[in-house]
Amino acid sequence: MRKIWLDSYPEGVPPEIDARAYPSLKDLLESSCLHFREKTAFTNMGVALTYGELDRLSRDFGAYLQNGFGLRKADRVAIMLPNLLQYPVALFGALRAGITVVNVNPLYTVNELEYQLADSGASAIVVLENFAHTLELALPNTRVRHVVTTQLGDLFPRPKRWLVNFVVKHVKHMVPRWRIPGAKSFREALSQGKQSAFEEISLGPGDIAFLQYTGGTTGRAKGAILTHGNMVANVEQTAAWIGATLKEGEETIVTALPLYHVFALTANLLVFLKLGGNDVLITNPRDIAGFVTELAKTRFTAITGVNTLFNALLDAEGFDQVGIAERGVLKLAVAGGMALQRSVAERWRQTMGVPLLEGYGLTEAAPSVCSTPFDAKEFSGKLGLPLPSTEVAIRDDGGNDVPLGETGEICVRGPQVMRGYWNAPDETATAFWPDGWLRTGDIGWMDQRGFVTFTDRRKDVIVVSGFKAYPTEIEDVAMLHPGVKDAGAVGVPDEHSGEAVALFVVRKDPGLTAAALLDHCAKHLTGYKRPKRIEFREHLPKTPIGKVLRRQLKAEATLTRG
Amino acid sequence: MHEREFLNQLSGESRYLRFHKWVNAPSDKLVHFLTDVDYDKHMAFVCTALDGDAERVVGEARYVADLNGKNCEFGIIIADPWHKTGIAGLLMEALISTARERGLATMEGVVLTSNATMIRFARGLGFEVQPVANDPTTRRIVKKL
Repeated sequence: MRKIWLDSYPEGVPPEIDARAYPSLKDLLESSCLHFREKTAFTNMGVALTYGELDRLSRDFGAYLQNGFGLRKADRVAIMLPNLLQYPVALFGALRAGITVVNVNPLYTVNELEYQLADSGASAIVVLENFAHTLELALPNTRVRHVVTTQLGDLFPRPKRWLVNFVVKHVKHMVPRWRIPGAKSFREALSQGKQSAFEEISLGPGDIAFLQYTGGTTGRAKGAILTHGNMVANVEQTAAWIGATLKEGEETIVTALPLYHVFALTANLLVFLKLGGNDVLITNPRDIAGFVTELAKTRFTAITGVNTLFNALLDAEGFDQVGIAERGVLKLAVAGGMALQRSVAERWRQTMGVPLLEGYGLTEAAPSVCSTPFDAKEFSGKLGLPLPSTEVAIRDDGGNDVPLGETGEICVRGPQVMRGYWNAPDETATAFWPDGWLRTGDIGWMDQRGFVTFTDRRKDVIVVSGFKAYPTEIEDVAMLHPGVKDAGAVGVPDEHSGEAVALFVVRKDPGLTAAALLDHCAKHLTGYKRPKRIEFREHLPKTPIGKVLRRQLKAEATLTRG
Repeated sequence: MHEREFLNQLSGESRYLRFHKWVNAPSDKLVHFLTDVDYDKHMAFVCTALDGDAERVVGEARYVADLNGKNCEFGIIIADPWHKTGIAGLLMEALISTARERGLATMEGVVLTSNATMIRFARGLGFEVQPVANDPTTRRIVKKL
């Protein structure tokens, strides 16, 4: 098939990238640490970490994983941290020691955490103390033998470290009581690692860098196997796409999306590592006022987010001042993970003076597949063009390409596409066509110029602010409540999060309230999976043979919303 | 009793594919519906196997006819260890010929688009696979009897 999208590429974007530019992420890290040694790599709450320090600390941490815990190449370590300086230190400590990283959402409930730790076979975990109480309960049914705990301010200089750690624990009471025998503190791990020898590990493109978990149709998350080669390829593809607008060693990017999600991991952390940029880590972007204050103090040249976040920023008091200060400074803004709304895109452009580009991708593709070109003048409502060295095909149910302009499943081929799902050969087999193309499960079409437009989804999945929630998992949890006879979850349009979960419930106990059921859901489901609305029904709409009519539920939920 | 046992030992995945939703433990109402077969508007065939001295259901296929008795909707489930043994084909053969004898004109079903195995199986039995308006997550499969 001819790559028609290449004709629409902006000037300077190459059709192909060198997917082997670095043998592994370790080589990418080492190259940047060498070239940008004195420059700031990460900033968090006003504290900077240089490339030189990142090199040293990640080496120390890697040495501790090797010598203190006895971890070897291909072992798995889970990282359960929000955006903090400890994140890149732990991440690169593990990666350069050849250890596979399993990113964990720190807000996971005990069940969700236990499942992911057990499924990945992680033998160690790095956790922020604030979430250690959840880990404590999840540990017994996993193979985790080694725990590193860190306090929020652990990489801040004194006295800021003492102050932050004290306030978090004793003033704000943000650390629920926990007890994990043998847990090692992050600072202790670093100092012991420093005194031991780091064993250099040879890594190649085929070695596994991440087991990156994403939802599954039958209620259980699956780990996408992303190799060093996949990640390097997507870094090169993204950098080639936006490279012309950016200068090595001079950029500052704001990272408000969590790094445990593949979008920020690649687009912010890894791409700007390659560029020698300063990655400003926002630990709690939900505190919009605090976030705007932070932005007002920072001159940033790039920012990524999801529609929800950009919308919240534009509504926030004082953000117009940030817009004024950023005129001529900000070069790049990218929205990913969920559909971007026209109103948000247009307001952003007016306030900030640069367009909000759209990126499309999925965990299984490390993640970026398409993006709107950086020279786009206005909001298109499209997913954009396939990135360099990426092929997109629109296929019918039989795996045949449909004629241009017709609708079908968006399929992808390229060096960023995962190897498969961890320990799930059946799921892997259905994710690919026999000729190797990845099936995204998204439905769309491609126009004459190669622009891809999303229209619908082929599977029952609800995308909440870029996170995938599967109805089966929500139904499973709802039906564990003794007062519930039957439950059906669907996605409904939501102005803040794109989609939100609506739950239809048939009661067994007539006294069951929505509040009680929400409490129950909160114990088992992390925030984005929780129903935003619960409606009680006498029965769920079903076909004569007993199949639930999910689209009818969805239509009802959409009609009655508000 | 056999029916409940059968449903209970199915994998979550198999139940999802059959009911298009998550089913933890089959409710009394569901078991009642599935066993309330009148051999006319609601017809079912089961396949059983001996497990020691016990006879266990390992697959079932059924149809429910609409009120005017012209068309019917069918559903089929096979126990996970009995996939790819050919019992689905035997059950469907019996179901289709009975529907024909009862004078039904068409048999149809709703299948999850992602259920490629079922769609392939239905095509093999002569079902036509059609898109469903406004719902790419399911396909309608129809056969003239």
